[in-house]
Amino acid sequence: MKTLSQLTDFYYKSLHPTLTELEEDRIALRKRVIFIEAILALIVLVTMYFMLGASSINLNTLLFVGFGYFAIAGIVYKLLIKGYASDFKFRVIAPLIKEIDINLKYTPSLHVNEALYTYSGIFTSSADRVNGNDLVKGKIDGIPIEFSDIHAEVKHKDSKGRTSWNTQFQGLFLVSEFPKHFKGKTVILPDTAQSTFGDFIGSFLQSNNFSRNDLVKMDNVAFEKEFVVYGTDQVEARYILSHTLMEKILSFKKRSDHPVSLSFRGGKIYMAIEYNKDLFEPSVFHSLLKYKIAMEYVETLHLAIGIVEELKLNQKLWSKL
Amino acid sequence: MSTPLIIAIVLGIILILMYNSLVAKKNQVENIFASVDTQLKKRYDLIPNLVSSVSKYMEHEKSILEEITKLRSEANKPNISDEQKIAIDAKMSSALGSIMIAVENYPELKANENVMHLQRSLNEVEEQIAAARRAYNQAVTDYNNALEQIPTNFMANAMNYRRKEVFEIHENERKNVNVKELFNS
Repeated sequence: MKTLSQLTDFYYKSLHPTLTELEEDRIALRKRVIFIEAILALIVLVTMYFMLGASSINLNTLLFVGFGYFAIAGIVYKLLIKGYASDFKFRVIAPLIKEIDINLKYTPSLHVNEALYTYSGIFTSSADRVNGNDLVKGKIDGIPIEFSDIHAEVKHKDSKGRTSWNTQFQGLFLVSEFPKHFKGKTVILPDTAQSTFGDFIGSFLQSNNFSRNDLVKMDNVAFEKEFVVYGTDQVEARYILSHTLMEKILSFKKRSDHPVSLSFRGGKIYMAIEYNKDLFEPSVFHSLLKYKIAMEYVETLHLAIGIVEELKLNQKLWSKL
Repeated sequence: MSTPLIIAIVLGIILILMYNSLVAKKNQVENIFASVDTQLKKRYDLIPNLVSSVSKYMEHEKSILEEITKLRSEANKPNISDEQKIAIDAKMSSALGSIMIAVENYPELKANENVMHLQRSLNEVEEQIAAARRAYNQAVTDYNNALEQIPTNFMANAMNYRRKEVFEIHENERKNVNVKELFNS
């Protein structure tokens, strides 16, 4: 696989003509966005002014109008940059992915199947609404892999019957084949209890977590500190999580710099990397030529596609040949 | 209700909980030892085939092969204790390891389909044994901790529970560089 610096070179050299064209589009579009949003704000302010004059107004209505404005402004922004965003995806993200591996297929409008997300068992409750985009699918070294942006939400109803949506997970969701045979389910989550409440109370809480399977204590101190493992089978969990794999997951976690959850079920490895934002989307307020912005796209793709090599998913065990 | 009665009931509940957790820990150890045992048996089943395939070629390793056969028959004896099984397993692992390394010196063996297949199966079983051993060690550690920590140590003493031995994990096993690497080269 190409190294990160090779990809950065590709981004700045081969994609340079495209980037400068997109940069022109962006500057023009930014003017339009600011202009239209300003007019919208003006309309809202004038309306509010007249409503205040009519004196039939209370704080609730004002708040309502305020929120309404932000919601509409957001939708208008999305509509305005839609063309630019899809241009960016086809002309920058798609070639980047092809450069990393020619066998990968990129579909900006699709996402990883909701059934896979639920089946992974990383989250204890199923989501009520799953959105996503930027599906990348294909084979690396003969190992099937797919990943995409996922935004999963759970519906909440309060006592007054108002519904609200809470985010369960937003970030990169990845599915690939795992080279070992196993029957049960093993889930690896970031260790929040032990780091918040300390070793003693934390591990007590973990071993009494009724929404999960049995706690599996791992014999790698650094790994135990970062993660907590639940599984249906004590022996199988350790068969999957060899010392080598634990080290690799640890270094992957360090590299990604975001909370990582994993699960092993039905011969597959599932990975959820929490970014809490929609990935691979351009912003009209930031130049694509800026190093920091560029590296975010390049690094995220490199990290996700590199997983097969990083976790040695391509080293098939003899029995699975 | 009088205060002494309440205290007695609370104490009773605490004793029951302690008793139950000790029993659960002991059963967990036994339970996981059973799966270690299954994996060990799987490995012992591969041995006669291995020995017969390689003994024709291996001149200098006769003594190791004899030891392997001897260890296998020892392990298959009825009524051997868990501690003995653990000790035999340690010897067996190192003997098998030296055979696997020795195979490298015999080109005929390296090319032999049957030996290749045996190596693969052995390697797979080896990985499963390693996992089962680690699970067992964790269960034993939990059990031994309960035996020594206050307040469960008093209860364990009264129940006549004894410390159990763990499997020693060899340094090379921790690194996971075992046989697989050898026939990749």
